[in-house]
Amino acid sequence: MKVPYHWLKEYVSFDASPEELAEKLTMAGLEVESVEHVWNNIITARINHLEPVKGSSHLNATKIFTGEGRELSVVCGAPNIKEGDIVPLALPGAQFFNDAGETLTIQATKKMGVVSEGMLCSPRELGLSSDHEGIYILPNDTPLGVSLADAVIHLDIKAHRGDLFSMVGIAREMAALFGAKLKQPEIKLPEKGKNSIKKMASITVKAEDDCPRFTARVIRNIKMGKAPLWMAQRLALAGMRSINVIVDITNYVMLELGQPLHAFDYDKVANHHLIIRRAEPGETLGTLDGAMRELTPDMVLVCDESGPLSVAGVMGGASSEISSDTTQILLEAASWNPVNIRKTSAKLGLRSEASSRYEKGVDPELALQGLNRAAQLMAELAGGEIVPGYLESYAHPSPNVTIPFHASACEWLLGYSVTPEEAAGALRSLEFAVEQNSDDGSMLVTVPSWRGDILESADLVEEIARELGYDRITGKYPTGDAPEPQAANWFDIQYQFRRRLQQCGCAEIVTYPLTNQRSTLQLLTDESDTAQLLIGAVDELAPAEKGKKNNGKNKQKQQSAQSVSETYDQAIPPLSADELPAVRLVNAISAKMDMLRITLMNAMLETISANLRYGNASLRLFEIGRRYIALPNSERQLPDERRTLCVGLTGYTESWTEPRREYDFFDMKAIIENIAGGLHMTNLRFTQTQSPIFHPGRCALLEVEDSHAKESRFHTIGVMGEVHPIIAERFGISQRTYLCEIDLARLYLHNTPPRFQPISRYPALTRDIAVVADISVPAQTIADVIKASGGELTRSVTLFDVYMGDQIPEGKRSLAFTVEYQAQDRNLSDADGDFLREQTANELKKQVHAVVRE
Amino acid sequence: MLDLLRILQESALKALLSAETSAEIAQWQNLYLGRQDGELTKILRGLKDVPAADRKTIGQRANEVKNELEEQAELRKKAIAEQELVSALVAERLDVTLPARTLNSGYMHPISQTIYEICGIFQKLGFHVIEGPEVETDYYNFQALNIPQDHPARDMQDTFWVEPGQILLRTQTSPNQIRIMEQTKPPVRAVVPGKVYRNEATDATHEAMFHQIEGLAIDSSTTMRDLRGALEAFARELFGPQTKTRFRPSYFPFTEPSAEVDVTCNVCGGSGCRVCKFSGWVEIGGSGMVHPQVLRNVQYDPAVYRGYAFGIGVERIAMMRYGINEIRLFSQNDLRFLRQF
Repeated sequence: MKVPYHWLKEYVSFDASPEELAEKLTMAGLEVESVEHVWNNIITARINHLEPVKGSSHLNATKIFTGEGRELSVVCGAPNIKEGDIVPLALPGAQFFNDAGETLTIQATKKMGVVSEGMLCSPRELGLSSDHEGIYILPNDTPLGVSLADAVIHLDIKAHRGDLFSMVGIAREMAALFGAKLKQPEIKLPEKGKNSIKKMASITVKAEDDCPRFTARVIRNIKMGKAPLWMAQRLALAGMRSINVIVDITNYVMLELGQPLHAFDYDKVANHHLIIRRAEPGETLGTLDGAMRELTPDMVLVCDESGPLSVAGVMGGASSEISSDTTQILLEAASWNPVNIRKTSAKLGLRSEASSRYEKGVDPELALQGLNRAAQLMAELAGGEIVPGYLESYAHPSPNVTIPFHASACEWLLGYSVTPEEAAGALRSLEFAVEQNSDDGSMLVTVPSWRGDILESADLVEEIARELGYDRITGKYPTGDAPEPQAANWFDIQYQFRRRLQQCGCAEIVTYPLTNQRSTLQLLTDESDTAQLLIGAVDELAPAEKGKKNNGKNKQKQQSAQSVSETYDQAIPPLSADELPAVRLVNAISAKMDMLRITLMNAMLETISANLRYGNASLRLFEIGRRYIALPNSERQLPDERRTLCVGLTGYTESWTEPRREYDFFDMKAIIENIAGGLHMTNLRFTQTQSPIFHPGRCALLEVEDSHAKESRFHTIGVMGEVHPIIAERFGISQRTYLCEIDLARLYLHNTPPRFQPISRYPALTRDIAVVADISVPAQTIADVIKASGGELTRSVTLFDVYMGDQIPEGKRSLAFTVEYQAQDRNLSDADGDFLREQTANELKKQVHAVVRE
Repeated sequence: MLDLLRILQESALKALLSAETSAEIAQWQNLYLGRQDGELTKILRGLKDVPAADRKTIGQRANEVKNELEEQAELRKKAIAEQELVSALVAERLDVTLPARTLNSGYMHPISQTIYEICGIFQKLGFHVIEGPEVETDYYNFQALNIPQDHPARDMQDTFWVEPGQILLRTQTSPNQIRIMEQTKPPVRAVVPGKVYRNEATDATHEAMFHQIEGLAIDSSTTMRDLRGALEAFARELFGPQTKTRFRPSYFPFTEPSAEVDVTCNVCGGSGCRVCKFSGWVEIGGSGMVHPQVLRNVQYDPAVYRGYAFGIGVERIAMMRYGINEIRLFSQNDLRFLRQF
């Protein structure tokens, strides 16, 4: 809210500059966003002399007198000025508004050879109204040389303090802060005429729950015209344009007291009878802003006998609007149900100064004060005659809220002790009524009607703390009971993953979890089954099912390439795009962010693509975040938020010490093995698979051995591979790119603390072995056979060569391994080595039809 | 014969002096002392033709010459080897300013780093770290926090809805206050880091998704002074021992009394600069004593238990710590940005 500094002085005496006041208000909880100085170097002045500028059709050279010193020469093009007029004069340095609403600064200049030492201002140039017909002519009795300079304090009033949306409300807080007295505007009502209002108008409130209080007055014989400068000026500083004296008075009183008002043209209200009721289905109203509004039965209206006149508390209708012909006013001051106003305002997409106040609650006790204040001003400033009496419907006056209170409640919450006198004094300064019981320090506090936010003891403690100053709440090292120490949890586990990945040279990214279906489906070359996107998203049921089925298959088939969903997500039936279990937003900020991600992969590819555009050619990136899987058949249930790791790799490694080498599949595999091994998940395996996201020959399913099951059993935890070139292209990536997505909960479920292996005192025996097998036999399978055939003696099996070509039959390849054997209790002899080799050769032949080369 | 030996000795020693490398020494050894065709070997081989009477004398002399030549050769060899090592080392000089070999070093996102640092500080103060769901119910995000339907405070937080009025993307980490208190009995001390969402247009200081850290401490003796003490300890550890903290009255529906928390600007040290908008203070979050209605909502008796809650904006703190002026850099994930942390 914009609060003009000088206006406040009318209601409270204080000695503080605008900046000092701002600081004081902020520290009392009325947050000041900024202090703006306006109308510097603009003063009132009189035109002493006026003559046309030679050679110009419209410019006049004027001599201007500011009350002292010499006359100033100002050139002016406005048609409406004459000698003797008192006008606002902008001196060099002053700022004004042009047609476009931009701020410009006045400079001394020469126009057609005549010196101009300033500018005479129109209402628009001062920001008072949109009127730019001519210079703002001030009343004849305006004193000269008066500066218009003022400061506007921009306050961020919180929603619970509806009472602070007015000058008096803020002055009341200031009175407490400065130990001063609040000066309410004095209301004098010169009622005139014999006829009481009862004979001239009537009200019927049919919707009493929506309208706690309604008051009205009639003012006759008003003279329409402009509001005086001081009022236009205050309205402008508070952010409202001057329109005409009647509308300006209703706005002025709203700003002054916080009571919104509405002025109807008395003669346009059928039978002068106001009816407050809910809208009928199908009713419409043309509002003041020129729009035709469709009304619904939950909206409250002020109507006459022929139909709606205004949307209560939100906006008036055009049909009963004040015009230049208006002579009689039917003035409304009411209070409305905040929730109803809020809903109506939201539904109509219409927020006004009035509705934003009503939404926060306007004290019903304020209605009559506001009504009378506005009537008074209409009499004083528009020559109106106030018809004796007023109309009122006040169905349910709220009783005063009283709260039993004890000063010890302050210490309970604030941590320092407050005497009953201090507490009572602080509350009284904010106009709470306090009845103290001197025996036990307790008190009964009556809450002022405008403080609907104060409901219980804790609320009073805050008021007292504010008045005493929050600086009294000094810090102390937290003591008190602490909970039991916490066991390691996901927060710590994820930290370990992040550190590991960082050690692998990866940079962490954090992307928006909000995405859209199109971007997600771009990950699939074949959209007929989107279940491929849900790696690791089904629970433990799926691997168990898989185990059963695989028992029936022969080993060869198990090892052949299968799709991700076939080998693993048995529990997820094929899904069409519409069936994706995604969490979707009903009020998305844009169509690009209308659902929560079900995979991290598309955001990773988008990030890689963007980085390539930025010129970052080599990327090792990872993200640890959640995927959000809507659970089937579970309305009102929250989705499954699955902790997930995504790694993306593209580009090359290059330095002056080694030639450039493009990253490949095995760089990605190294990262995965490093983090799995580093966190003791050594029982990780990579199985050839296919997925519509990846290169058909370069995709692996990631599985870990179940550390809890008795029989050997593997669970799928993720997938990795080279991104299918078609997919990469869709994301604007034209170089080989590798992706991996792992369900962290599944990965971490099977980590086991390391087991110590005794270090043998006997030397190891090293043998090289070259195996010729079908290309389709995975290297891992051969290594496993070699390892198993050495039994406990095998220390390590390390591949050192893969060869195809001369001397190797078509469709086969040679894999060369170094095998290290070691016994705990003896030296291994050459004979042991020969025996192990023989045994290994036999097993390889039997299990994978492989031949050991001599 | 003796003459022959003398001449040989002289010429051999002379040749030895002119040998300058290990290879030349080896050549020299081969020439004079070689088993097959060495000059001395040849002379010794001729001994059989010498009259028996002289044989002993000449043989002795020949051995002396042989020993001396071998001895001299060894000395010369050693000297040369030393010389050669010195020149080899000189030749192997490296320019130590050449760049290092590539050892890929990665980077943790500044948001993650900030979260770990902040939570780490509170862990030292005995707080648990707990995470909660990002997709929340209206009850936890609003109602249980004393923000009923149609409460004007809902305007403060534009909400992304999954099911209107029922399920939403959490607008704050505060719903975890309720979740934690529902699941535990006091004493409670916990911080909850995580993503939150607001349906707002983005600009240099606003994102529709950002990170918060919620704090909660409840027991039978905790007051607002403990709150301030905890936040002061936190601010000093994060921003340096000179950092001061200030409380300003504020409004949150789920705390009473409520306070906004400011710290002295760590860019200008409190004297005023653009980062702190020349106020010397930077707001880091909201806080207050847990509202009695919130305590009642989780069946904690407000006459027995009391405590505080706070919420800290992670992006704001990261921006302040690292001097980042644009919040959207966090979600752009440009490697040139990430590499700086």
